[in-house]
Amino acid sequence: MNTFDYEELDTGHREEFEVTVTDEMLDSFRMITGDDNPFHRDDEFAVRHGFKEHAAFGMLTASFLSTLAGMYLPGEKSIIQNTEIKFMKPVYVGDRLIVSGEVAEKNDAFRVIRVKVAIKKDNGEKALRGSMQIGFLE
Amino acid sequence: MTREEIFEKITIIFREEFDDDSLVITDESNASDIEDWDSLAQVELVMSMEHEFNMKFNIKEIKELKNVGEMVDLIMSKL
Repeated sequence: MNTFDYEELDTGHREEFEVTVTDEMLDSFRMITGDDNPFHRDDEFAVRHGFKEHAAFGMLTASFLSTLAGMYLPGEKSIIQNTEIKFMKPVYVGDRLIVSGEVAEKNDAFRVIRVKVAIKKDNGEKALRGSMQIGFLE
Repeated sequence: MTREEIFEKITIIFREEFDDDSLVITDESNASDIEDWDSLAQVELVMSMEHEFNMKFNIKEIKELKNVGEMVDLIMSKL
């Protein structure tokens, strides 16, 4: 786990990690949230609606931004204040995701950073993009 | 930019932050007037104003503000 202080981070600082989506992750997400929508478990349903197979929950993909902030950028001292995201492409079981964040802006008055985030699939497609405003525990 | 123009832009920022197109703010408006105006909203309001008016505020300037009117005055002084 990284432990960056506000002062240690410069604009342009970048962190990333990889994660592969599994059916077990979808099952856990379903159990936690109660979202039993068939789009995320039933291949026939998904194909009928124009997708190649059942897709991962968008918010499961987005949940890896919590990992990015809480473990990598800035890590231990992270307090996520605001997140804006757009879902660009569906994610499927077996997809290897590269979750990345880059410090786009620092605000010295409030000691917050704005991190530009992206989650790319191993085929090069961007599954998600957005930004997070992150403060620091004192 | 006139004081009225600054006030118009700040009103838009407030309405977007609190997701209320009918929100009316005055020079005397402060955090006690708007239910969701907490410390996180304060950060976002100030940062939105920094982006809108292309300026930076320091923490001393922000802490001394008592209401929206003083924020408008501060912006005018930096333009």
